[in-house]
Amino acid sequence: MSTPSIAHRALKTRNQKNQSGTIISYTTITQSQSHTIALIELEDGSRVLGQIVCHSEQNMLSATALIGQRVMPRMALSSITEQGLRIYDISYEVIIQKKIDTFDESVFPRYILAITGPSGVGKSTVSKLLGTVCSHSMTRVPILTTRHPKEGDDGEYTYVSQKEFEKLHKEGKLAAYTDIPSNSEERRYGYVVEDLERIWENGKVPVVVTEMHLLQGLAQHFGRRSILSFGLLPPGKSRRAMLSSLLFRLRKRGRETEAQIRERLKHAVQDLQFFKERAELFDHILVNEDLDTLIKTFQKHALETV
Amino acid sequence: MSPTANILSWYNLTSNLYYRYQSSELTHVQRDIFLIGSGQTRFGEWWHMSLQDLVQKAMDTSIENAPCTALDIDMVITANMLGELTNNQAHVGALASALLPHKPPALRIEAACASGSVALHTACAFLESERAETILVLGVEKMTDVSSEQITRALMGASDNEKDQVPGLTFPGIFGLIAKRYMYEYGLKREELNIVSARHHENASKNPNAQFRSPIAPESVETSPLVADPLHMLDCSPISDGAAACILSTKYKSPFQLRASTLANDAVSITDRESITSFSATKEALEKALKEACIRREDIATIEHHDCFSIAAVINMEDLGFADKGKGIECYTKPSSHTFNASGGLKACGHPVGATGIKQLIDVRKQLEHSQSRYGLAHNFGGACATCCVHILEYTV
Repeated sequence: MSTPSIAHRALKTRNQKNQSGTIISYTTITQSQSHTIALIELEDGSRVLGQIVCHSEQNMLSATALIGQRVMPRMALSSITEQGLRIYDISYEVIIQKKIDTFDESVFPRYILAITGPSGVGKSTVSKLLGTVCSHSMTRVPILTTRHPKEGDDGEYTYVSQKEFEKLHKEGKLAAYTDIPSNSEERRYGYVVEDLERIWENGKVPVVVTEMHLLQGLAQHFGRRSILSFGLLPPGKSRRAMLSSLLFRLRKRGRETEAQIRERLKHAVQDLQFFKERAELFDHILVNEDLDTLIKTFQKHALETV
Repeated sequence: MSPTANILSWYNLTSNLYYRYQSSELTHVQRDIFLIGSGQTRFGEWWHMSLQDLVQKAMDTSIENAPCTALDIDMVITANMLGELTNNQAHVGALASALLPHKPPALRIEAACASGSVALHTACAFLESERAETILVLGVEKMTDVSSEQITRALMGASDNEKDQVPGLTFPGIFGLIAKRYMYEYGLKREELNIVSARHHENASKNPNAQFRSPIAPESVETSPLVADPLHMLDCSPISDGAAACILSTKYKSPFQLRASTLANDAVSITDRESITSFSATKEALEKALKEACIRREDIATIEHHDCFSIAAVINMEDLGFADKGKGIECYTKPSSHTFNASGGLKACGHPVGATGIKQLIDVRKQLEHSQSRYGLAHNFGGACATCCVHILEYTV
C-alpha cells in the first residue's frame, strides 16, 4: 500500500537503505506474482527488508543458497499507485563473487570488447567491420546458437542442437548464455569460454555482440573490469524515432518474418530501458548514425584502452 | 536545579519504581480471580453469521455456563483486531455491551493476534483494582467477508507499517524469513517441520470446535502449494470466523483460578531484532508468569501455544523452555510428559485473530478438567511476537 505521502516519507530513508549488505534470510512469496524478499544487514549494521532483483535467471539459479551472499542496492520500480504515481525504491541485487584469475597485465591486458544494442541496430555489421579493419588486433568471437541457419547469416554463428547446448552449459563451458523466449522461433545464444581464451592467447581482443543477459553473464564470469562495453543506439531524438529507425532497418535487411520483427521490436523497448537502468555496465554509449565515424570512434576508444 | 540534575533525579525515581515493580509485592495476582464461565462458536467459515451473531452466540453460551446472571456482569472487554477493515465495524465494545439488558461499561482491546489474551490481562487489572467484580471478556473476528488479498493486507497491519511493508511482503513471508533462517542456523529439515501441522490436525480431530477435524499425512504439508518459501499452505493457520468468551470474577467462585497473567513486548519490526529465530517476549512473559504463580515449568501439565505457522510452534517450544535451542521439533517427534496444543492449536482449530487468546484459555480449562491435572498455560502472541501474553490457570479439585 503506497500513497504519495507515504512515498514522500520513504524518500528520507532511501539514503540509509542505499548501502551494500549481506543477506540474513530470504523468502520467495508466491502470490499472483512471486517476489523474493530478504532481510539484509547493511554495512552500518542496521537491518532492512528489501526485494531481491535479478536481471537474469542465471543469477538466481546459481545462487540457490542466498544466506550470507553480498547484495548491492539498485533503484527499481516497486509499484504504481492508484493515482498513477510510479514509486521507485531501493531493491538489492545479489553479487556473485567470482574469483578472477590473476594475470600479468604488463604482458597483455586481457579484455573483451562488447557491443550491446537492440536487434537491427547494426551490432553485427560493426563487429564484422572491426574484425576486418583491425584484424591485427581484434577478432570476432563466434556466437553459439541453437537456431537454424538463415539466409543472410555471415559466418558469425556456430550452430548446435539444443542437446549439445545444454551439455556445454552443464559442463560449465559457457561464459554466458541467454534464452530468448519466443512464440515464433526457438533461440538460445551463448559464448564458449575456450573461444575467448584462444583469442587472448593469440594476443588479440575478442569482439562480442551481446544483449542484456549475455553482457551480465560475461561481466559475472570475467569481472566487469575486463569488459570494454559499448552500448549502440539507433539514430533518433526520441524513443519513438529510435524504434521506427530500427523497424526500417529490420524490414530492409529482410532476414526475419513480420511476426519475428514485431517480437524483436518488443525486446528492443526493454533493451533501450536497460541502457538507463544499468548505466554502470556501459563504458560508452554510441549512436549508429554514420558507420565510418562510428568505426573510428570504436578504434579510438579501443586503442586508448590498449 | 540544573537540567542534568533534573534528568538524574528523574532517572533515579524511575529506576527505583522499576526495581520495586520487579522485586515487589506486585509479582502475584492481587485478588483471587476465577474463571466462572466460558463459551465459543465453532471456528470456521460462517457465511450465514455476522460479527454480531458471533458475539451473541459466544456471549450467551458463556453466561449459560456461569453461576451468575447476565445482570451480574459489571463490564465487557472485547478483543478484536480487524473489524474496521473486514467488516467496516469499529466500536465493537459498545456493540457487545448493547447485547446485554443493562448495557454495562465496555471497551475494546487491540493487540494484533494477541488481542484476546491482552483483553484477559486488562480484565485482571480491573478486577485487581476492584473497579469490577465480574467481567465478560470476549474475542471476535469475522475474516471471511473479504477477499484473501484484502485480508492478507489487513493482517500486515500487525507489522511495522513503514519498515516492514516492502511491496509483496505478507505475514507468511515474515515467517518464511524466520523459517529459512532457523533452518540455516539449526539444520531443521523440511520433512521434520511437516510433523507439526500433522500433529495439530490429529489433535483437532477430537475437538468438536475445531475448524479442520480431518487428520492429514505429514507428506501432504510439503506437497501443498508453496506460500512463502519454505512454508507451504498447510504450514499456515487458516482464515477463520469465530468468537470466544470467558467470564472472570472475584465474587463468584469456581475450581478454576487464574494464577498468572503477564504481558511482554518486543520491537515490532523484525529489522530491529538481533535474532529472528527466538522471541524474547515469550521468554520474558513466561518467566514473569512462573514467578507470579510460584510454580516451576515442570508443574505445567497442558500447554496451548501460539502456532500461527509451523515454525512458530518449534520456536515457542524453545522459548517456553520445553526444549533446548535448535531442538524445539523434538517436542513433536519424541514423547513428552506435557500436552501441547491438544485442541489442535491455531493451525487446525482456526485462528479468528481476536478470539484466539480467549479460546486458548477455554481449551486449557477443558483439558485440566479432563486430565484432572493442576496447572495449564496459555501462550498467545501478536505479529512476530511483538506482544506476548501468558496466562496460567490452576484447577483445584
